[in-house]
Amino acid sequence: MNNFDTVIGLEVHTQLKTDSKIFCSCSTQFESPPNTNICPVCCGYPGVLPVFNRKVLSLAIRVSLALNCKINRSIYFERKNYFYPDLPKNYQISQYKLPLGEDGYIELPSGKKVGIERVHMEEDAGKLVHRGDCSLVDFNRTGLPLLEIVSRPDIESPQQAYEYLKYLKLILQYIDASDCDMEKGSLRCDANISLKPAGAGELGTKVELKNMNSFKGVRTALEFEVRRQRKCIERGDKIFQETRLWDVDKLKTSIMRSKEEAHDYRYFPEPDLLDFRVSDDIIEDEKDSLVELPQKKKKRFVEKHGFSEKEADIFVTNPWLADFFEQTLCFHGKCKDVANWLLGPFLEQVNNLEDKFNSVKISPENFSKIIRYFVERKINNIGAKKILALSIVTNEDVDKIIEREKLAQISGTTELEKFAEEVMEENPKPVKQYREGKVQAVMFLVGQIMRKTKGKANPGLAKEILERRLKQ
Amino acid sequence: MNKLELSRALDIAEKIRKKEIDEGEVYDSYVKKIEKVNPSLNIFVDVYPGKERLQGDSPLRGVPIAVKDNICVEGKKITCASRILKSHIAVYDATVIKRIKDNGLAVIGTTNMDEFAFGSSTENSCYGPAKNPWNKDYVVGGSSGGSAAAVAARLVPMALGSDTGGSIRQPASLCGVVGFKPTYGRVSRYGLVAFGSSLDQIGPITTNFCDCAYLLNIICGFDERDSTSVKIGAPDFTRSLDDNIRDIKIGIPKEYFGEGLDGEVDSAIKKTIDFYKEKGAEVKEISLPHTEYAVATYYIIASSEASSNLQRFDGVRYGLRTGSAKDLKSLYLDSRKEGLGGEAKRRIFLGTHSLSSGYYDAYYLKALKSRRLIKNDFDRAFEKVDAILTPTSPTPAFKIGEKTDDPLLMYLSDIYTISVNLAGLPAVSFPCAFTKGNLPIGAQLIGREFQEDTLIKLGYAFQESTDYHKRIPELDL
Amino acid sequence: MSKKKIVEYVSELARIRIDPQEKECLGNQLSRIIDYIDKLKELDAEDVIPMRGLHIERNVFREDKAGSFESKKSILDNAPLREGDYFKIPKVIE
Repeated sequence: MNNFDTVIGLEVHTQLKTDSKIFCSCSTQFESPPNTNICPVCCGYPGVLPVFNRKVLSLAIRVSLALNCKINRSIYFERKNYFYPDLPKNYQISQYKLPLGEDGYIELPSGKKVGIERVHMEEDAGKLVHRGDCSLVDFNRTGLPLLEIVSRPDIESPQQAYEYLKYLKLILQYIDASDCDMEKGSLRCDANISLKPAGAGELGTKVELKNMNSFKGVRTALEFEVRRQRKCIERGDKIFQETRLWDVDKLKTSIMRSKEEAHDYRYFPEPDLLDFRVSDDIIEDEKDSLVELPQKKKKRFVEKHGFSEKEADIFVTNPWLADFFEQTLCFHGKCKDVANWLLGPFLEQVNNLEDKFNSVKISPENFSKIIRYFVERKINNIGAKKILALSIVTNEDVDKIIEREKLAQISGTTELEKFAEEVMEENPKPVKQYREGKVQAVMFLVGQIMRKTKGKANPGLAKEILERRLKQ
Repeated sequence: MNKLELSRALDIAEKIRKKEIDEGEVYDSYVKKIEKVNPSLNIFVDVYPGKERLQGDSPLRGVPIAVKDNICVEGKKITCASRILKSHIAVYDATVIKRIKDNGLAVIGTTNMDEFAFGSSTENSCYGPAKNPWNKDYVVGGSSGGSAAAVAARLVPMALGSDTGGSIRQPASLCGVVGFKPTYGRVSRYGLVAFGSSLDQIGPITTNFCDCAYLLNIICGFDERDSTSVKIGAPDFTRSLDDNIRDIKIGIPKEYFGEGLDGEVDSAIKKTIDFYKEKGAEVKEISLPHTEYAVATYYIIASSEASSNLQRFDGVRYGLRTGSAKDLKSLYLDSRKEGLGGEAKRRIFLGTHSLSSGYYDAYYLKALKSRRLIKNDFDRAFEKVDAILTPTSPTPAFKIGEKTDDPLLMYLSDIYTISVNLAGLPAVSFPCAFTKGNLPIGAQLIGREFQEDTLIKLGYAFQESTDYHKRIPELDL
Repeated sequence: MSKKKIVEYVSELARIRIDPQEKECLGNQLSRIIDYIDKLKELDAEDVIPMRGLHIERNVFREDKAGSFESKKSILDNAPLREGDYFKIPKVIE
């Protein structure tokens, strides 16, 4: 059994959530027909100049703050020069020597702290489509605003890499900085991995992995690479510093066709854009819109609202739900009541909606009424669920529904006494069975009352009344 | 229409406004003259025979204006005198073009230039060299040679050029007209095909300072499409059209009067200095000690920026694409080989090398530091003086072909204009004398940043008392 | 690096093919120019802050509003080679 330490670093590119591109006002609309979101600026026409989208800076600062980075107050862009058909100017405007954010960290749910080396802004390239004898270029994506987030090589296993990606995505979605949809291409990930003898100080040769299209794919690719590198070391073979591509069909990594020329990007400061001073104001603004991050929220839900860790996780991974919960709590303050209804019938019904949480229209106040009326026994379980089903996508007033559908629970003792008498008369057998000791027989009679009242009877109360009478 | 040749643009506009002449007739008469003269002087690249409907109004409404072939006019050819853009049509108007159109000027055509503005003689043009209207065997200067010659030959009352290392001022000097480079950031660069992004400025070329001031009023001002344009309000430059220059302090840099300066140019500048002294200005000697590093500094910075700016010309999206590309790499290698001229290649090579791994610190970074020292020299000088007077070019126009064998020789002739761009300052060249051979000699005035008004005042004062700027070349067709 | 190697290396970086004859000539011209600009080596600029340009403005921004360029069609029309709504180039192997 050989002891190796796995050392992994992850480089994530995420598209920031803006309406227009980073240096021109073309739309960022996803899946537009090819070459329709283009203009002379993003297509590298002669004479054009970039102008920086303010929202990109705000979102980038927001992410840097969420990742606990130190923010550089005077920043500038640099040109990264190389020729490629999806890069119209044949240089990419990016940041090199001085990124926006540095020296941050993420604390994963498991408690592991992963350092963030840098966070910087850059423009995206276009898209290439390959045919049999040619390639085609679509410039819609050229100029989309990207944030590059580079972790320190603190990640210790493929599984941890997976957790890192999931949690990073959660944070970015929480603060509304990005959609983080790997399928839509708004999040891309490359990995660096090396092995070293357990406990050794010096790092091994690192290999870069590309072409992973999902978080699970990243994990699987890294698992493969760990095995491959281990075998190499055991055989005494050298591990080369190279770039390998993940093949999702063959489930293995292979060397990327080596590029003949050196990557001499000739970085130099972008002369068409000046310096940007990151003022205290911009930072304060972003701090204000920085919502409570997942870990903190979880802690608070456990400590303040008394949830178990598992329950808290449900809220943490569904920020919308957490918000809705706390807003409902403003109207009906009993945590347990709201939680039961939210995590139970509400979630059940949401799962059947086409657009899930996005389809929900019921207001927290309206929802709180359902809960309150149930607790006050004004409506029963079945009635409450029915009201929820009718109002969840319409936000129709709960009181109106109750009146219209006549869902008020029958809780009047006199009325229920009458129904109890009726069903006892109509069903002598269960009455006899109960009196002979079969106490479950009362449930049949309760069911009969429910049937007679078309579900409106308060079942608990009905059972009480029946039992009293049966015992007579 | 001979009277037009003697008129300022301002006067032409006034005559049009008073309906003494018709703006359509004015335009047509210039087109006719251009078509007659161009075959022998090769000044224009493209002429627009039909005048567009004029919009907007200003004191220059109705005046035809020529534009250097590197400024975008929507729907018109823009080639930068390069094969790689030979059939390219601009898809948008440069901001300066929008402004001159919105002020009622009539864009009449585009002028010959050194390819991508690389040069000081307009000999690096895919259309062949432009010829100096004062003497066909001589160069017009560059890179805005066509624009300067067009105004000198009275083919058009005014023109726009671009200046990166002297490209407005030097041809103005060699052609005997006024060529003004505003402070960096005064005029929007949006729509100017970029050469040296931190150096380029568009500016007016006219026969006199009056027209110059009015045109500056139109083209200066912040542009939201150009992040390097300044929000500092542009004043009304026509308020500086007065000749009271008493007590203005003029500095004469001793480093500009040494070896290499032609004798006649030297005398001409000395006479100009005397003129200002007589008019009441205070003249004193100053020093710009880092002048000897200016050419090296400039060529590193300018070519580095240019090498990157020209990477977009690759045959993929527009412009020339080689017919023989079997793979992507060849598409790039051969489109650029076929499309780019010799000087363009030299500059790109020099710039790429200066930025490349292992050389960046010694060349590009060092040049940026040297640039700071050169700017500091000017700042120190401007503590003592309000303007600096120098020759524009070490020699008057030289013969076509005289300097083409040695690129370095050509670069060294930029010595007086180049530091100005490095420092971002405003400067102007105006005719101050003629050689015995009847070639114009230009004097250059350099001002503090954003103090174009001082230069206009000094230039206007000179022109009120002299008439070098009124001389018209006899066109030997 | 020898001047010949510089020309080859830069030709590659700048994607401009150079014939063998051109290589000789260009190499010589560049050599002369580079020897001249090496003048800067004599300059002592240890503590000097580099000057990127006469920069006065900072924080020039655009608002995040999507707009549409009126002449989009002309951009595709300018393609040297085109297939449908795409720019066509030789097959790229990634």
